[in-house]
Amino acid sequence: MTEITLTALDELAIQRAKSGDLAALERVYRAYESTVYTQARRICRTAEDAEEVLQETFLEVCRSIGKFRGTAPGSLTAWIKRIASSKALIRIRHEKYRQTDELQEDSGWAGRRDGDVGLQLDLEAALQQLSDTSRAVVWLHDVEGFTHEEIAEQMGKTVSFSKSQLSRAHARLRGMLGEEEVQC
Amino acid sequence: MLRHCTMAELLELRDGEGSAWARTHVDECGECRAELERAHQRVAALKALPSYSPPRDRWPAVREELIRSRRRARWQRAAWGGLTAAAAAIALFVAGRGLIGPGTPELMAQEVSELQQESRQLEEVLYTVANERRVVKGVTVAVIVALEDRIAVIDAGIATIQRDEGTVTIALRDLWRERVELIDQLVTTHVTQVSYLGY
Repeated sequence: MTEITLTALDELAIQRAKSGDLAALERVYRAYESTVYTQARRICRTAEDAEEVLQETFLEVCRSIGKFRGTAPGSLTAWIKRIASSKALIRIRHEKYRQTDELQEDSGWAGRRDGDVGLQLDLEAALQQLSDTSRAVVWLHDVEGFTHEEIAEQMGKTVSFSKSQLSRAHARLRGMLGEEEVQC
Repeated sequence: MLRHCTMAELLELRDGEGSAWARTHVDECGECRAELERAHQRVAALKALPSYSPPRDRWPAVREELIRSRRRARWQRAAWGGLTAAAAAIALFVAGRGLIGPGTPELMAQEVSELQQESRQLEEVLYTVANERRVVKGVTVAVIVALEDRIAVIDAGIATIQRDEGTVTIALRDLWRERVELIDQLVTTHVTQVSYLGY
């Protein structure tokens, strides 16, 4: 359903949006606001920061869409997500996060709950327990589909750094979720 | 020495990378295979997490900022355009001063002739725009009357010089320059009024 909406938007409104038509730009915003906000919410620590990322992302999208040359299906989505991740990563690099980054990892974990909803809540809570960097890497790589090269470039780090943050995040999540041993 | 795969090695395998040793080991080791399966399940669970909706509509703020930045860009373009035009005008003026100095009566007569022609063209435009029936604001009327009065004074001065001197003088040329400038202002005032009403 989402894909159909985005494809229709690509075909019908992108050209108008590229010419700066405000109504068409609003359609782009409406089509992607939830996608961008969710991505920002998963990477940033607070809802307020995620809202700021949402606004900054769409300002950038509206100003730069005239230069967007992608024609392949999904290229607009990828382009917008890339802008959003860049804005979110800039935000988590902010001084106040760096100061508390390491402290965040080991505090406030209340243990796991039962059932599917419990698992979801556990996972949500476990994600929040990760450091900002680890959380950003695991989300961008495993959910949004960014490569380690892309993440490293956006973070201004090496590919090895991105890979080590990912394995660290998985190890932490595994430990916090208390995953059962799978019997062979 | 026998060892299990590290998390990094398992994740590389999951991404279609990883060493031959790790691949072989996972094929043979149930424990590592199970760990790899857990990694797959963890990612599936992450992808299944619900989406968020922004608590407030941020589009009005984006739209406002967009309009503001476009306005700023227009002003900057206009300012650059104005500077360029001013520079061109100064260059022309300096060049003109060099060519038509006060000591060359022939060239000065040529300039006056050109000013007279320009003045006639402006008066034709003025005749067209000034005779369109429309409502004119009181402030605009006052500006028009003031400009027309100044033009009348200049016309009297031109007539006096032409009658007394019988030739082109610096004073005559300056009066024609001023006349052209004032008529141009008069046309602009009328046209602006028309544009305003048309809008």
